[in-house]
Amino acid sequence: MSKDILNSNFFELFDQTVSFDVDLHKVQQSYMELQKQVHPDKFANASDQEKRISMQRTSWLNEALTTLKNPVSRATYLLKLKGLDINLENETTMDAAFLMQQLEIREKLENIKDNADPLAALDVLAGEIKNTSNAMMQGFSQSYENDDLDDAREWIRKLQFLEKAKNEVNALTATLEDELMG
Amino acid sequence: MALIQIAEPGESTTAHQHKLAVGIDLGTTNSLVATVRSGDVSTLPDVFGEHLLPSIVHYGKEKLDVGYEAQKNSIGDPLNTIVSVKRLMGRGAKDLSVEDMHYSYEFAESESAVPRIKTRRGNVSAVEVSAEILKTLKRRAIDTLGDDLTGAVITVPAYFDEAQRQATKDAAKLADINVLRLLNEPTAAAVAYGLDTGNEGIIAVYDLGGGTFDISILRLNKGVFEVLATGGDSSLGGDDFDYEITQWLAAQAGLDKVKSPAIKRLLMQHSRSAKEALAHQESIEINLEIDDIKWQGSLDRAQLKELLTPLVKKTLMSCRRALRDADVENENISEVVMVGGSTRTLIVREMVADFFECEPLTSIDPDKVVATGAALQADVLAGNKSDEEMLLLDVIPLSLGIETMGGLVEKIIHRNTAIPVAKAQDFTTYKDGQTAMAVHVLQGERELVTDCRSLARFELRGFPSQVAGAVRIRVTFQVDADGLLIVSAREENSGIEASVDVKPSYGLTDNEIETMLRDSIENAEDDMYSRSLREQQVEADRVIEALDAALAVDARELLSEQEMLTISKARQDLLDVKTSSDIDAIKQKIKHLEAACEDYVARRMNSNIKIAMQGHSIDEYTSDSTSDSEAEEL
Repeated sequence: MSKDILNSNFFELFDQTVSFDVDLHKVQQSYMELQKQVHPDKFANASDQEKRISMQRTSWLNEALTTLKNPVSRATYLLKLKGLDINLENETTMDAAFLMQQLEIREKLENIKDNADPLAALDVLAGEIKNTSNAMMQGFSQSYENDDLDDAREWIRKLQFLEKAKNEVNALTATLEDELMG
Repeated sequence: MALIQIAEPGESTTAHQHKLAVGIDLGTTNSLVATVRSGDVSTLPDVFGEHLLPSIVHYGKEKLDVGYEAQKNSIGDPLNTIVSVKRLMGRGAKDLSVEDMHYSYEFAESESAVPRIKTRRGNVSAVEVSAEILKTLKRRAIDTLGDDLTGAVITVPAYFDEAQRQATKDAAKLADINVLRLLNEPTAAAVAYGLDTGNEGIIAVYDLGGGTFDISILRLNKGVFEVLATGGDSSLGGDDFDYEITQWLAAQAGLDKVKSPAIKRLLMQHSRSAKEALAHQESIEINLEIDDIKWQGSLDRAQLKELLTPLVKKTLMSCRRALRDADVENENISEVVMVGGSTRTLIVREMVADFFECEPLTSIDPDKVVATGAALQADVLAGNKSDEEMLLLDVIPLSLGIETMGGLVEKIIHRNTAIPVAKAQDFTTYKDGQTAMAVHVLQGERELVTDCRSLARFELRGFPSQVAGAVRIRVTFQVDADGLLIVSAREENSGIEASVDVKPSYGLTDNEIETMLRDSIENAEDDMYSRSLREQQVEADRVIEALDAALAVDARELLSEQEMLTISKARQDLLDVKTSSDIDAIKQKIKHLEAACEDYVARRMNSNIKIAMQGHSIDEYTSDSTSDSEAEEL
């Protein structure tokens, strides 16, 4: 094994510089190359211990890929590497404009069933959330590169709100689909 | 002294022996076995040249038959002829109510959580019936290949939950087959097509079998098959098509009130062959003749379309969801692979083509494509291709979580997470001096414990008594490459550990399988009985403990004197029967107590919402969580 997989950080693992802007395509390629070396399928006839190690390594690779693929978890992980733990549940201050926007999203969610085509309306809402998220990721990236970590943290907090909204949109979509499926 | 031969790295030794490994498609309607010989993959026929083995087992007076021989008895001896047993795999007796109307055999009255079918050769479980099918395929492989097998890759629907996968592995164990890997059917199909055509890009595999529907979205890249998302319905398939047609046919023929199993089977067979015929022709004549009943009529494609459209629409809803999970749009899909006999139905092909806006691939026989892919994977896993580039990266189909305060499920591993995967979550104690903690493992997407599938319960006991919140318990979920789960819990300060291979509460333990191999069915049932009893006793303890803990906190605030009396009475009743060996009585008293507490629990939940929002909890024990998956949790 050329790389100590279990002791590499997720960026090192996939030969990336530690930064918000990662080349996901290269991450993907590197992930697959590593998987070809460590995956349990390569150890189907090996000893139990080797199987176990293979499983640990593959699990770690999967966790690394999942973390880097999602921008919010990637951002959170970047701050974690800087020693900042993001546990923001108890912090409540937020700028007013952002809170207004959140309220609007909630209202739209609550009233979604009034639309002629609720599923289409949810798709539109999901698109809006995605656009806002993308803008905020830009903000995070800049703050992070400027080493303005308090600012970076603030962006993540907002992104986490949006992530939550996105999950709610998805959950509601799934519920509506279930209803349609009968 | 003999010298040990060492080969050049990357090359296999010339003396390397080709290991016999097979791929088995254990289907609802038909099963197949395939293997790779001299680089070519093919399904193996029986002595009559038939490749398909109908997944039917007949428990006859003199002997047990599997396949076409068994099928012959389907009408004459329906109660002893078991069909579509895959739909029962991993299912508890409670899960049957809706589905069992499809079957015309009888279930045994039993205390056991595993449903058993009455046959003249004794009561049998789905695992045992499946094992008979596997044994037949194994024998066929050994007879054809002339040697014993190293192992087999057995396919399962991607949407199979933990219990269903475990049941499949149990069946293989009973049939004495070494399982190299459980492989998802859609992935197997993609392997078969991918290697044949050298596809790269994102593909959808639409798999509509006899009893299950799967949709998988995969990315193919330089020999790596990566499952991006999977979804479906583990109880929707061609059987439901047949059922719809059968209902229609029965109504047309005025037989819809008839209860006779033989007539039901006859209607079903006619429905099935009419459906199959309509893949090639516009309309089909149907002649029913049994006893003194005679009916003649016809079914055409337009009528069939009307009957089946709602069912096909259901599958497309699952497709929509899988695309969203994979974060892929319809237009990104470069190919759609069709799998399963039910995709021969034209209306299915048309609606799928419309949905994905591309013509689906059907060049490999949809009945054989899964076994073919499984055989290719078996060849790789057996080590016959040391420099093989092919690698399958799969995902878990349903989220896994644990029970928290108020009967809610806290997801620890989300669906469509790549496997193998390990996730840990930290919990702490709720009460001062608490030295034990219960962990209830669940699978499913819904919020409430009652809407998810209960996989296991276990307890971590004996950690040192400390103040509430000081204890640090790390619960780890590890899912292996077969999609099977091991949960472990460790108290970080004392190092106390507990771990379970998750065996669903209605599944079979290894010991039980041993017993079944050795002893008669009656003995095995006794085992199950005592296990159910233990489970109920543990449940009774759990309920009482939880209640006592709750009462100590807020009984005075939330209960009137009369309510308190009712609850105390129900609690005492349960205590009285708890140590008896009467499972039903314990169950009943637990129910009574739960009913008596219903309003109280609701009130507690309301007043506890605030607490619940501040942290996660297991049962009555709250926790502060420092999740390893912050981004997903928030």
